[in-house]
Parts: sequence; C-alpha cells; structure tokens
Amino acid sequence: MLKKTIKMTSSVMVAAGMALGLSSGIAQAEFPEKPITMVIPLGAGGSHDLNARVVTSIIPSYINQAMIVRLTPGAGGQKGTQEVANAAADGYTLLFTHNYIDMLQQHVETLPYDPGADFKPVARINYAPIAVVVNADSPYQTFEELIAASKENPGGIQMAHSGNWGALFVPAAQVMKALDVSWNLVPYQGGGPAMQALLSGDADVTMGFPSALAPQLAAGKVRVLATAGAERIYDDVPTMAEVGVEGDVGFMHRVVLTPSDTPDEVVEQLTAAFKSLADDKTFVRMMGRLGENVDILDGPTYEAMRKEQSVAYKDLVEKLTSQ
Amino acid sequence: MIEQFIEGFGLALRVDTFVMMGLGLFGGMLVGALPGFTTLMAMAILLPISFFLDPIVGIPFLLGIYKGGIFGGSIPAILVSMPGTGAAVATSIDGYKLTQKGKSRKALDMALFSSVLGDMSSDIFTMMMIFPIAYLVMQFGPPELFAVLLMSLVIIAATSGSNPMRALIMMLLGIWLSFIGTDPLGGVERFTFGLFELKSGIPLLPMLIGVFAIPEVAGVVMRNEKARHLAGLMGERLTWAEFKKTLRTICRSTVIGTGIGTIPGLGQVVAAMMGYSAAKNASDHPETFGEGELEGVAAAEAANNAVNGPTMVPLLTLGIPGDNVTAILLGAFVAQGLRPGPQLFDEQGATVFAILIAMVFANLMFLAIGYLSIPFFSRLVTIKVSVLIPLVIMFAFAGAYVFRSDSVDLLMLVGFGIFGIVARAAKFDVMPMVMGFILGEPMEYAFGQTVAMANGDLAGFFLGDRQGALAVLLVIPVIGFLLWRRMRKTVAH
Repeated sequence: MLKKTIKMTSSVMVAAGMALGLSSGIAQAEFPEKPITMVIPLGAGGSHDLNARVVTSIIPSYINQAMIVRLTPGAGGQKGTQEVANAAADGYTLLFTHNYIDMLQQHVETLPYDPGADFKPVARINYAPIAVVVNADSPYQTFEELIAASKENPGGIQMAHSGNWGALFVPAAQVMKALDVSWNLVPYQGGGPAMQALLSGDADVTMGFPSALAPQLAAGKVRVLATAGAERIYDDVPTMAEVGVEGDVGFMHRVVLTPSDTPDEVVEQLTAAFKSLADDKTFVRMMGRLGENVDILDGPTYEAMRKEQSVAYKDLVEKLTSQ
Repeated sequence: MIEQFIEGFGLALRVDTFVMMGLGLFGGMLVGALPGFTTLMAMAILLPISFFLDPIVGIPFLLGIYKGGIFGGSIPAILVSMPGTGAAVATSIDGYKLTQKGKSRKALDMALFSSVLGDMSSDIFTMMMIFPIAYLVMQFGPPELFAVLLMSLVIIAATSGSNPMRALIMMLLGIWLSFIGTDPLGGVERFTFGLFELKSGIPLLPMLIGVFAIPEVAGVVMRNEKARHLAGLMGERLTWAEFKKTLRTICRSTVIGTGIGTIPGLGQVVAAMMGYSAAKNASDHPETFGEGELEGVAAAEAANNAVNGPTMVPLLTLGIPGDNVTAILLGAFVAQGLRPGPQLFDEQGATVFAILIAMVFANLMFLAIGYLSIPFFSRLVTIKVSVLIPLVIMFAFAGAYVFRSDSVDLLMLVGFGIFGIVARAAKFDVMPMVMGFILGEPMEYAFGQTVAMANGDLAGFFLGDRQGALAVLLVIPVIGFLLWRRMRKTVAH
C-alpha cells in the first residue's frame, strides 16, 4: 500500500511538474510517448474537476504516462470544447465533458464546431442521477403536492438552478414540459449557491445530485421528492417515471471524448486504460468518497446513447423555446 | 465543543503537519509571485497529493498554498507594479510607489505583517463565532449582494482620486468592458462583433498587467531614465515604530475584511479596496495615499487576507463551497471521507478543530517563512535596468499567456498596455476601470437574479421581502455624496 502510495504521489508530482511546463525526458517508442492532456471545459473546483483529479492521479499506472488536467472554462463550455475540436487527433488531447454541453448546446445556438461529427467517445466514466429537492420546512410533502401548487400558481414557485441549459436546468425543463407546469427559474453560479438559496428560503425547489445532497439530507435540512433513473435511490422516494416524467431525464454523464479522426488503435488503448480503473481499488474507494459511482462504458456503447440524447434534446429545446 | 477543541489542539501539533504546511506556504508564495499562475491552479494541481496524506496533514497543506498564494500576489504588485490577481490591485497603488522611492523592503514587510495579522485575527474570530457567522451567511441573497456591490463601486469612485467625475467615467468603461462576451444570465452574445475570441469575455490578467505594468515599463524606456523608477534600492526593513503607526489601520481593515468574507460572493477584491478606501477616508492626510503610503499597503493586505477565515464557514457548516478555492477544499475533505456539512462537527469535531487550529499556526509559520524570504525577493529590484526591463516584459507576456493558454490574450495585453499609457498621459486613473470590470459581472448577475426572483414586480419585491437590501440601496447616494465632498475638501487643501 505504502509503495503504491509513493508511486502514485510521484506520478502526481510528475504530472504537476509537467503541468508547470517541465519536461521529464522519459521517451517511449509507441503511444503514449508523452503526457496526455485532459481538457475540462468547466471551471476549477467543480465536480468534473474533482472527478478528473482522481482519474489523473490513478490512470498513470495503466498508461505509463502522466495525464494532465487543463481547465478551459468560458462561453458555457464552448471554449474548451473548441480547443479539443481543433487539437491534433493523436490521442494526446482529450475532452472531459458532460452530455448537456456535448449534445444539447448545438440545438440552442450555433457552435463553432459540430459535436456529433467532430468527436468520438473514448469512455463514459460515470453518471449522476438528479434529485428534486425542497427545504425540510417546505409545505410540499410529495412531488404531487409540488406540482399541484405549481399548477395553481404558474410562475410562483421559485426554482434555483446552476445556469441555463445546465445540469439542473434541463431536468427542471423536462419536468415542466412533461407535466405542463411553469416554474420561475432563477440562475445561480453553480449547484452550491443554488442549494444555499434553497436552505435560506430564497428558492422553493432545486435539483441536486445525491453526492452533494448527502450532508443536508443526513442533517434533516432538505427533503427529496423524486429522483432520476429506473431504480429508486431512496426507498421512500419515487422515481421521475413513477411521477409521470418519462424518458432519459436528469442524468449527467461524465464522458471522455477525443477528436473523431483519432486512430482506432489509440482510442482502444485509451478505452482499455479507463476500463481498468473500474477494478482499481483505490480509484473505486476515492470515487465512493466523492459520492460518485463508477460505471465505465466504452466508446461505441456511449455513441449510441449520444445519438439518442441529441434527438431528445432537440425536441426539448424546440418545445421550450417555441412558446 | 470545548473538549473537542482541546483534543483537536493535541491532534494539530504534529511535525508532518507543520512540514507540509510550510511546503504549501512556500510553494503558494512562489506560484502567487509568478504572474499568470493563480493560487487556484496550484491548489488544483497539488490536490491529489492531499488524497494520500492524513487529513490533518493534507488539508493544512492546501490551506498553506492558499494563504501563501494570496500574499505571493502582492510581491510583483509591489516590486514591478504587476498585480497577478484582482486582490493585489489595491496593494500595488502604494506598494509600487514605495518601491520607486527605494523602500521595497519596507513595503513587502508591511504587506507580510498586515497579511498575517489580518489572517490570524479573522481565523481566530471564525473559530470562535463559526455558528453565528453561518447564520449571517444565510441572510445574504442576490438582492443584498447587488446592493453591497453597488455601494462598493460608489465608494471606490468617490474616494479613488481627486476627480470623481473622471473616476466615474473610467468605472463605467470598466463595467461596459465586463459586459463583453456571453451574457451570464441569458447566454446572449454582447459586443463580441461576432468574434469567437470575445465570446468568453475579456480575461482579467492581460488587463491587469496591461494597464498597470506596461505603462511603467514604457515610462522608463521612453524617458530613458537612469533606472530610478524600476530598479533601485531595496532599502531598510520595516521598523517597529512604523508598524505601530499602522496598527489602527490593520485592525480596521481586518474588521472590514472579515465582514466582507461573511457575504457570499464578494471576496478579496472588494475587501482590499474597501479597506484601502476606509483607511484613506479615516486618515488626516489622505493626500499621501497613492504617493507611497505604508498605511495603504497595510490597509489593502490586512483586508484581503481577513476574508479567508469566514469563507471557510459555509463549507464547514453547510458543506457548500462559496468559491472555487473552497470547492477544491471540499474535494480534499470528501476524498478523506470527511463530509463537510451540518453533522461534521458532531462526528469529527476534533479533526475539524485540528485543521482550524493548524490554520492559525500556519499564520505564524507564514510570518517566519515570509520574513526570511523577503530579502531574496526584494533583491529583484536591484538588478540593472537593462536586464530588469526585458525580464518584466517577458513575465508580462508569459503571465498573460499562461493564465488561459490563449494567444489572443497577448493581443489583449498589448491593447490594454497602449490604453494604460494613453490613460496615464491624459491623467485618467485606471484603477476605477479595473474595479468596474472586476465587480461589473457579479453585480450584473446579482441584479439579473434579483429581477428573476421578483418575477416582474421589482418594487414590491424590495418593499415586501428585501427591506435590508432596499435600505442599503437608499443610503448609497448619501454615502457617495458625503465621501466625495470630504475627499474634495482634503485634496484641495
């Protein structure tokens, strides 16, 4: 264990050195012969950043190279995505993104790249199902009561989300569309501030991932009314489908993409490395501590899901913006 | 609570905790001193190291990087007028003037002592008042944040120079610059002229280096001076008498910084500027501010470090990170199996107190490490000007580029550099512009949120639900007018 720790710490050190522009002078004949950069189109300290820190501190053991995180936030994720779209298709530049940036944005505005054609998936790392949350003091005991109140008072229910077309906004929009209600959507700068708005009473309802909800739930400060997914996450809380919101709702998939011209053997090698993470005890333990699951899918499997997402999101955006 | 505190005290006194904390402090100081590298980057890159350390070692290590980084930013701000972060802008006003007078060592000492004092007092205060602060944090929503930001801008404009009209024009220009890019609420593009490069807005660092450092370099080159301005003496260390004179200012700024730290979303930039403005306003010689006043450095640095303590409160009590730095700390806590939130104190009280106590000790180590390394840093200004100027230019370009690794930023740097030179020639102070730019976006965002919350009835919303914010909004013109009159009087004499 200690040996492993030392090895990992040193690989982190190497990665840190690389990130600061030092070169290690290690060279090998075949891929990967230099460190791989993983671009995140989002800011520091978010859940993608934290997930990536765990991935990049473990994966060097499986690819024999450092993997460096580069955060390129801006323009709602477009800046980082474009950076990878324009990067060399050699497997040394990867994009770590999520399904809403990846497949939804194209239907909202004109992008300087074509996500469907310019990228192919290397692996899906994990996914997070969303939960509908109210304050513990809220008069709404169940999801049905919340919806009934929303129908009585259109626009009167304040819903805190983390930005337009983001991970909390889209499921809220899907609920509104499926059940024909309208909430007053108030943006906050991230899931944390949105949760704070709920706790302080500024918002009536918000969405949150179970990993982030855990402390509030344990302290009895919030109540969960519904969760995404086919299975119940909490025994006494219905799923979205049970309360009448059907389809692929409220899942954030964390995925690794690469430019679509990247050679297949390189992609397969990378996919294999990501897949080995699932059997790495340290990786699984750390992801567990972050409250994240590990459910790694290979490229082709996720590609089929991407295609479906694109169709569903197109429909959602058209319905919501045509009013 | 008390026994947990005592137990935590015992836990914190570990050799490896102090060694890693020292490493973090020194590393943070170096990273902070390099323009373009932010404290946040250093924390994010070194976060995984904390995964493999004990929580009482790993988290203080990250806190060390944080504290060291904030002070580190003031080093280039004082020595070469190159603030690497928004928090160091207020420090550079008087700090660089002191360097020009050959007193760079005094300025750095002042910055160190006031940083440590501000940080330490606010850490101790936070530890004692953690639950009342947590209650206070919950009282602030977007309407209150908007009101406080607007008030801050008015105070800055009124007290920044001798000519509030010019300050206001520059500030409005800064606010307009902050609009460029994608509208944070609606996602609409504004003033981008269809350029994708402008879509994510104007980056802060190229602007800071452009308007503050480039004009200094240009001044030396154009006037062909014998290096009086850029390279010079490092001078004497700070004396006890000089330090004692600034104690009142340090206390005032610490209170201001701690107060601002409890308001989610305000942060160090506002704290430093408010501390500076308050010191200038309370002084019986405000005309010396901006001309190399030690008190100015003390006021800014004590205030921006005092913000650190309270920003930890929402993280520890609610498990909600208020900014990027605390988000990274959240990751470090969670990876250790410590889930910050309402129950953390019940379950792991001793460990949390141990971390907080380590944080207080970190300040003492910081004092020692800083004091020993200042001579090494201040030697920089004794380099020959023919070497120093190219070095500064190199760092300016490297810093502007590294910040986002985007070559467009080099053009921005040159553009803002030229703007800074012109503004200086026309006697327009760039500081209000930079403040308008930094605070414009959060202010607009908070205003947009307020409008969304009010759901069409803004007046009713303020009158009915948000009387506190309304009260602040109503006194803003009064404060602005009084300050402006006062400043005009004192500067005229």
